[in-house]
Amino acid sequence: MSQPKQPQQVLQLKKPQYALGYWQKVSLSIWLIALVILPFADIEIVNFDPFLELTRMVNGLVTPDFFATEYLLQAIMQTVNFAIIGVCLGLVLGAPLALIYQHPLVSSCCAFLRAIHEIFWALLFLQVFGLSPLTGILAISIPFAATFARVFHDIINQSSDSPLEIIDRRADIISRFTYGKIAQVMPQLINYTRYRFECALRSSAVLGFIGMPTLGFYMETAFRQGNYSEGAALLIIFIALIGTIRYWCPPKLLGVYLVIACVTLVDIPKVDSSLLVRFITQDILPPAIANAATLAEVQWSSLMTWFSALLSEQAIPGAIATITLALLALAATHFISLSTHMIASKHLWPAPLTWLGQFILLVGRSVPEYILAFIFLMLLGPSMLPAIVALAIHNGCVIAYLAVKQSNAIAPQQIQISKLNQFNYHIMPTIYPSMMALLFYRFEIIVRETAVFGILGIMTLGFYIDSSFSEIRYSNALVLITCTALLNVAIDIISRRLLKFEQTSQTSC
Amino acid sequence: MKTLTKLLTLCALTLSLFVGANTNAATFTFTAIPDADESQLRTRFEKVALYLSEQLGIEVKYVPVKSYSAAVTAFRNNQVQLAWFGGLSGVQARRLVPGSQAIAQGYEDQFFKSYFIAHYSTGLELSDSFPAITDKTFTFGSKGSTSGRLMPQYYIEQHLKQKPQQAFKRVGFSGDHNRTIVQVQSGTYQVGAVNYKVWDSALAAGKIDTNKVKVIWQSPTYPDYQWTIRADVEANFGVGFADKVQAALLNMNSPELLKSFPRSAFIKAENKDFQPVEDVAKQIGLID
Amino acid sequence: MLTLANLNLHYDKTAGANTRNKISEKDSSTQVIFDLSLTINEGEKVAIIGPSGAGKSSLLHHIYQELTTRAALCSQRQGLVDNLSIYHNIFMGALARHHWLFNLVNLIRPFKQDLHDIAALCQQLELDQPLAKKVDQLSGGQRQRVALARALYQQQAIFIGDEPFSALDPLMTSRLLDTVLARHNSVIMVLHDRALAMSAFDRVIALDKGRLILDSQQQSIDQAQITALYQTSAIA
Repeated sequence: MSQPKQPQQVLQLKKPQYALGYWQKVSLSIWLIALVILPFADIEIVNFDPFLELTRMVNGLVTPDFFATEYLLQAIMQTVNFAIIGVCLGLVLGAPLALIYQHPLVSSCCAFLRAIHEIFWALLFLQVFGLSPLTGILAISIPFAATFARVFHDIINQSSDSPLEIIDRRADIISRFTYGKIAQVMPQLINYTRYRFECALRSSAVLGFIGMPTLGFYMETAFRQGNYSEGAALLIIFIALIGTIRYWCPPKLLGVYLVIACVTLVDIPKVDSSLLVRFITQDILPPAIANAATLAEVQWSSLMTWFSALLSEQAIPGAIATITLALLALAATHFISLSTHMIASKHLWPAPLTWLGQFILLVGRSVPEYILAFIFLMLLGPSMLPAIVALAIHNGCVIAYLAVKQSNAIAPQQIQISKLNQFNYHIMPTIYPSMMALLFYRFEIIVRETAVFGILGIMTLGFYIDSSFSEIRYSNALVLITCTALLNVAIDIISRRLLKFEQTSQTSC
Repeated sequence: MKTLTKLLTLCALTLSLFVGANTNAATFTFTAIPDADESQLRTRFEKVALYLSEQLGIEVKYVPVKSYSAAVTAFRNNQVQLAWFGGLSGVQARRLVPGSQAIAQGYEDQFFKSYFIAHYSTGLELSDSFPAITDKTFTFGSKGSTSGRLMPQYYIEQHLKQKPQQAFKRVGFSGDHNRTIVQVQSGTYQVGAVNYKVWDSALAAGKIDTNKVKVIWQSPTYPDYQWTIRADVEANFGVGFADKVQAALLNMNSPELLKSFPRSAFIKAENKDFQPVEDVAKQIGLID
Repeated sequence: MLTLANLNLHYDKTAGANTRNKISEKDSSTQVIFDLSLTINEGEKVAIIGPSGAGKSSLLHHIYQELTTRAALCSQRQGLVDNLSIYHNIFMGALARHHWLFNLVNLIRPFKQDLHDIAALCQQLELDQPLAKKVDQLSGGQRQRVALARALYQQQAIFIGDEPFSALDPLMTSRLLDTVLARHNSVIMVLHDRALAMSAFDRVIALDKGRLILDSQQQSIDQAQITALYQTSAIA
């Protein structure tokens, strides 16, 4: 399908001297940046004959084998359990933080915690709690708490102050706040929590890639080992699970599910506090400090060599690759979200076709990026390209999904124009700013998610972190994780400075 | 509004469950990742657990893990007391847990080797001398693998006098021996290093098109997989427990159980058998 | 009870609130009240009238700030919480009378006593809607009565109202006004119905362009003067 011109561009053609609008400038600069860095990026397509493997993949997809996976029900249950408990714990930790989020210390701490991918949290907790459900739950709930804090804060801030004005000043702060503010935005908070639950299901599955007993555990093995029938079956189950959340998990039943989740969670081994002590006092210390008996014996020069080698050989090249990948993925995401938004918009197509569009969006946002990249790796070869495509498809579909929700709620104008014109002149201009806001919010997530591709071998920071973990060099891993988080925080600050627009956090993700 | 109360109760419930949870200390736990087929891990290794449980007379549990590093972590944290490690991961684990012992290895593991495989377009053929693979694209297996990473990288550095990152046009980590075969076969990478047993069984299973990919070099032999046990099992499960486990492993002769690893038999092993692996790992900088 | 001497108020556009002190010379702040002096005594029922933009609301809000601990405000901006029920919106008037824990529990499960009181209040205000109904489902007039009920439920001695009956029909207006007057010792109310202001209140003051023009305490005023006030304003 051809991509119709955006309304902005249509306007642009009217008069040569017509000044560029704000969103045109922003969209153009995204593409300009992408074009400038494109020659430096590794996007070579190397592939001689992927068809043998592709045929096997397609064969697998059309003959899904639902019985190939052992303990399948248990895996589904654990996927849901981790997500539910993770979200609830995230809420308990994050909601109070939302109230003090305006404090710069709190907000920067939250940005830092958010910036670290669930997989890295899990790899860290793995050292302390081992293969315990605690590892998975904390890995979900900590970044989720930081996200809840930020988004809840934004939502509460956008609520009206007028109920507070009339409440008797002598009433205590808790009563005033709950009645005057929280009650106002409760539906938005609940909606957002529901959306995050979907995200948590994805995260929970992804944690399987590093050993949590969720669907991802078996999915990764199946794809890696070439058991595509099994892999396809797991993907179908996973997509169905996400696509039907609203039927099997209405908010009213959340409590029931939480209780069930707690009861059916796999056994939690006893937490050994000595492991935590060892982790903090030994594992994460650089070798020069850990090997020295006293502070006086520390060889500062070797510490410096270690640190500068780590920075120059891993952190800096990794950060450059991460940023390159993220910026290219941003432009590609922009394209995918515009085009997939179009195919699922009810303003353009009759209902049955939009269902198809919605289904495409569901598949696009549910299939973990790792699996997408895995498939494209076969098609396009081992460059950055598979990761760019995977990120663009996943994030583009998430943005389009949220944008379609908004745009379908817009009432069409009562004038006699064609559907396409209606879409270009009324729907797109209305929806575009919030789509762009979503896109920039997603940028933070794209940077985070580049981590996953490191595990697949694309030389982002995630690659070096994964290597450090597999070489059991936790001190290196910790330094690199900190670099990733700082990079993310910096990007967050810069994009906030550059783009002064209202974040529509009710719909942000 | 009711959500609020619900949440409060729920979090209280959650916390109480965390506090109340504990484990059965008398269970002997082990883990294993086979080099080839990782499907149906639990189903297959629970049979091994059952066998060990019969031999040892205590409850034995199998814990599935995803990677060698996860296995090492679990071993180090005493979540598993016995593990079927690769050469490198065994060395890493024994360095981290002082006193732990390699007690058995597969018969084949005494003289394990890696194959270098190449896509037909490179024009490389099987030879006894190290192949001319400079400036090709190259993929290892998993980052922590002995046969897919450590040994190949060692021989590359020996022969090409360069780090792989400098010697090759592009270096990848496929994550798995099967993936290495698939990626070289499809031309994604030109050359790859693979565990010889995985190659042989894939060849036997007809998964390899020998017109597209062939073996171009085989490495000298080295020791690889082994069973390693923690030192403190003597204290926790009784004196002589490690010997009992060793005997049980050496006596494992049911083909069905051995197929899971897959090995023809287990024989005795000691820590010093793996000294070559440790030396190599130090030399290429994978351990300090 | 309240004495204002030479009051000057500025409306700060950026902050969206009245400020007593002029912050800057910039355009962001416009003066809305000029040198206004006024004394209101305990027990007085005062109506404030004047054409649109005369500064009535600004003055009223200033008065509310001064009397905040003793007064209940029924503002034009209602300040209802759409997601809460009629009951909870009215209960908000009583927040200060209870411990926060009581308020929180009440949010989940209404207490009988308050439910009973609020039902009675609604009946008096002719609000025949189920108490559990969310206020976003109500009509303009019904919402206004919920806001009024909430102010009444504060049970303060002073009632400050900013056109609390603007969306109601005249008959209901006069019935509800009687209720408000009967339940409070002092009432200060901006009214838009001049005749009602003249008939129902002890004292009527009129504002125009931020200045106090007429005060029935100082001079006797009649309908003609007021009509003139609205007309000149309309011409100017």
